[in-house]
Amino acid sequence: MCQSLDRTCLGRFRSAPLLFFVLVGLWVALHVTPAWAHKVTIFAYVEGDTVFTQSKFSGGKRAKNATVLVYDKEGNQLLEGATDENGEFSFKVPKKTDLKIVLKASMGHRGEWTIPEEEITGVADTSGTGAAENEAATAMHEEPSVAVTKADAESPATAVALGLSREEFEQLVDKALDRKLAPILTMLTDSLDRGPKMSDVIGGIGYIFGLVGVGLYFSTRRKRG
Amino acid sequence: MHISEGVLSPSVLIAGAALTAVGVAVGLRKLENEEIPSMGILSAAFFVASLVHVPAGPASVHLVLNGLLGLILGWKAFPAILVALGLQALLFQFGGLTSLGVNTLNMAFPAVACRYLFGWGVRVGAKPSVFVISAFACGSFAILLSGVMVGFCLYLTGEAFLPAAKLVVAAHIPVMIIEGVLTTACALFLRRVKPELLEGQYVPKS
Repeated sequence: MCQSLDRTCLGRFRSAPLLFFVLVGLWVALHVTPAWAHKVTIFAYVEGDTVFTQSKFSGGKRAKNATVLVYDKEGNQLLEGATDENGEFSFKVPKKTDLKIVLKASMGHRGEWTIPEEEITGVADTSGTGAAENEAATAMHEEPSVAVTKADAESPATAVALGLSREEFEQLVDKALDRKLAPILTMLTDSLDRGPKMSDVIGGIGYIFGLVGVGLYFSTRRKRG
Repeated sequence: MHISEGVLSPSVLIAGAALTAVGVAVGLRKLENEEIPSMGILSAAFFVASLVHVPAGPASVHLVLNGLLGLILGWKAFPAILVALGLQALLFQFGGLTSLGVNTLNMAFPAVACRYLFGWGVRVGAKPSVFVISAFACGSFAILLSGVMVGFCLYLTGEAFLPAAKLVVAAHIPVMIIEGVLTTACALFLRRVKPELLEGQYVPKS
């Protein structure tokens, strides 16, 4: 291809930056997973049977009125909503599965967050979301029949002594934990603003100046040769 | 202005990448040895400009500086912007690598267009009023055109054009004004300090 263009394509220094761009391009293509790349971030956590999400742009501005789409493991859309004034949106867990939450903000911004199935504890496997939320006190004697989950067979002695099934006991603990962990989660959300760091900025400028150096190096070599 | 990954359809991404490749090729072909440093500096400026957030409008917007790059670099804005956007995608996670081609096109094409539209006025010999107005127009119009192009890309992927473009442009009105002023200030400064940069092609001292 370069035969007829020999003077312009190979013989001249221009091929040096070109080559460098190609190399950088290759390096980039090999190194980066697409999941990284977004400028708007969404963070989601589960409390009981509800998923709370927070969305913001890098730089800390909340993403208002952005579309939130929730998908299950197979990629079926479960529900759709919009963030409020604070960039928050919450919804009841529709199904016990890995939840992929996609945020679509205006102007082609897109963010993603996945909640693995294990984190969804407030929802019984198949029953509706409402059943799990019933107060333990009133539903005490109906629940055991419904609760056909995991380790129901060997209810711990302490729980039995309190008149609670293992299921209800777990729910109480979960609830208490959620309450205790709420401030930590909020803190985590705030710190998760993956804005550019100083090292990134300096590094990027360094790359560009390095490219200039490479370009100049080849151009002076060409002159001498 | 950075379109994220997974937003546009593959055909739009490929078309954008192809057009960007053409632009970069033209830019590199026009590149002279002496212009490499100025290109690098402007590329670095573009890279950092995206960190300057403008706290206005419904979304997060930041400076772009593509008008300034087009004014000084012309077609060479393509490779300069490609490098800067690539690094932004890598280091800041702005935009994305699959959408790099489209994003470069959206920012570099308006840069080149503005150079041809307004560049004639930003010359050392021009009248001061013409000089200032052209420089301002160059800076702000580049942003406007970029906004329209982003809207158009979204439209090609299924969004309604007018609302999408309106939203992008509306969000960038403050940026347009700031960039117009900034481009003017830079052009005025260069006219005093390094007028040969404004003459388009680098004029070697003979």
